[in-house]
Amino acid sequence: MRLKGIMLELKDINKTYQGAVPLHVLRDVSLTIERGELVSIMGASGSGKSTLLNILGILDSYDSGEYRLDGTLVKNLTENEAADLRNRKIGFVFQSFNLISYKDALENVALPLFYQGVPRKRRNMLAMEQLEKMGLADRAHHLPGELSGGQKQRVAIARALITRPALILADEPTGALDSRTSKEVMELLRRLNSEEGMTTVIVTHDPGVGAQTNRIIRIADGHIVSK
Amino acid sequence: MNRFFNIESWKETAATLGRNKTRTALTAFGIFWGTAMLSLLLGGAEGLRGILQRQFAGFSTNMAAIFPQETTVSYRGFNKGSEWTLYERDLDRLRAQAPDAIEYMTGLVMTSGPLSYRNKSRTGTCVGARADYFAMQKPIVESGRLFNESDYAQGRKVAVIGSKLAAQLFGGEDPVGKYINAAGMYVRVIGVVGQRSDISIGGRMDENVTMPATTLRRGMGLGDRAWFAIFTLRPGHRLDELKPEIKRIVCANHPISPDDESAIGYMDMASEFEKVENLFLALSLLAMFVGGGTLMAGVIGVGNIMWIIVKERTQEIGIRRAIGARPSDIIAQIMLEGMVLTMTAGLAGVTFATVILGLVDYATYDAATGHAGFVLPLWSGTGILATFAVLGTTAGIIPSIKAMRIRPIEAINDK
Repeated sequence: MRLKGIMLELKDINKTYQGAVPLHVLRDVSLTIERGELVSIMGASGSGKSTLLNILGILDSYDSGEYRLDGTLVKNLTENEAADLRNRKIGFVFQSFNLISYKDALENVALPLFYQGVPRKRRNMLAMEQLEKMGLADRAHHLPGELSGGQKQRVAIARALITRPALILADEPTGALDSRTSKEVMELLRRLNSEEGMTTVIVTHDPGVGAQTNRIIRIADGHIVSK
Repeated sequence: MNRFFNIESWKETAATLGRNKTRTALTAFGIFWGTAMLSLLLGGAEGLRGILQRQFAGFSTNMAAIFPQETTVSYRGFNKGSEWTLYERDLDRLRAQAPDAIEYMTGLVMTSGPLSYRNKSRTGTCVGARADYFAMQKPIVESGRLFNESDYAQGRKVAVIGSKLAAQLFGGEDPVGKYINAAGMYVRVIGVVGQRSDISIGGRMDENVTMPATTLRRGMGLGDRAWFAIFTLRPGHRLDELKPEIKRIVCANHPISPDDESAIGYMDMASEFEKVENLFLALSLLAMFVGGGTLMAGVIGVGNIMWIIVKERTQEIGIRRAIGARPSDIIAQIMLEGMVLTMTAGLAGVTFATVILGLVDYATYDAATGHAGFVLPLWSGTGILATFAVLGTTAGIIPSIKAMRIRPIEAINDK
């Protein structure tokens, strides 16, 4: 059942890490994010926000509850199903950019399409379009090492957008940037949200970043404390 | 998506292998050396065998000989220490008794003395034999023909002479049809022969005069005597099984005690050659063992390097998985790298070994007997490469599967 207007929905999600002392990191987490929202998830370290990010990003499984992303129930997936779903539905933006150091900007942006089996020419054309949008057309054949922090993060955002995902998941996207470039990157994310209606979830502990989103979800000790 | 035919896969492979050139080169050298050593050992063993077999070219390796020795047991009034004589008729009886076992057989008589043609003379050996002699020690017929059973039966005064002797006695003249004086009689030269093998029984055929034993016996007044006899056994037969029969026939016709263990002397070439064959078997096994060890070391090297490559790329693997790479995509990529590394270095190793073996084969070429055979058989080369490709490719599997166990986010944060 596809719920119109709802991009993602968590219902009573529980997650426990098994170990010498089992760690119950998420307790009955329920959460709804509408299509086109710009949301931040905030919490101290150890609050469970990283686990929540992993579950939202289909990088980790959960023990009980239900997670629906863009109408698809994300549960008990095989590695391959999870990989395909990540590829098509989610664009990741990481704190430390995480570009592949020996591939140039264009190849980095095109990489998700490689895993979709898109032919090389079309892949590179689409990647070039994205880089143009980010104002980085002239940097297409530079390696990540030759780019500034802000430029790297814009390449990473271009890579996240190239598959036209349902959701952008950003993990401390400004964590490794100075205040001026942080501001630029946040403006870029806000513009993508307002102009293209891109649903965006930013996980951060920086109140300054949180303040620039339309809604702040706070998490503490595995509970959602405010939506 | 077929990664194998995707240029991106190959570019990525080149990029990752090229990132640490020294390490890649050292690993590649390990594999190169492993395949080269194994190929050289296998090809070298083959060549050594060829060189040795070349020494025996034309010489029957299943040959045996019997000869009379002093008796060691007193018998029928003869003291021990008596001598006895082997006769051609003993050999005829033996041939009649064991036709299944004996293939070729001849009694030999020999004498040394002057061999002359007109005013030229040399001292040399005259050998008398049956035509079977040429079947056991195949000479190279340089001109004319060999004598045959009919020449033997009729005791014709014909002879074949060795090419070296012919050069000394005749110079550039054609000896065929000419008469020479050998062992005190005039015999007609019917053929000139050379020798392939480096070993022979009864002296070098390219230096001797060889004539029918009947002719030489008549000339020397030897009656029916043979100094000794040589014979070859048919496949599957051994001298040991024939010994009781030989003993029975000899003892029945000579004053030799059935209990005398050493009156009849034997020489068994087959068992000598078996020792050589065993030596080569051992050499081949050694080659396999040493080469196999080198090969294993090479493969372990690849496994090791794939492990390090995977470790180094934990973060990158995490990124790729986060943006939608399937585990099979990652594992295939790592395996492709292992395969490219091993195949390139392995091919270079086999090529290098082939060139070296080719040079050795060229250097050991002999005009009379040809190539020694320092070559890596095609199937051995293919086998080595295939083994290496399979092992090198699978060497990447374990590290990549381990890498898959790390959750993408942990991998990404791995520093």
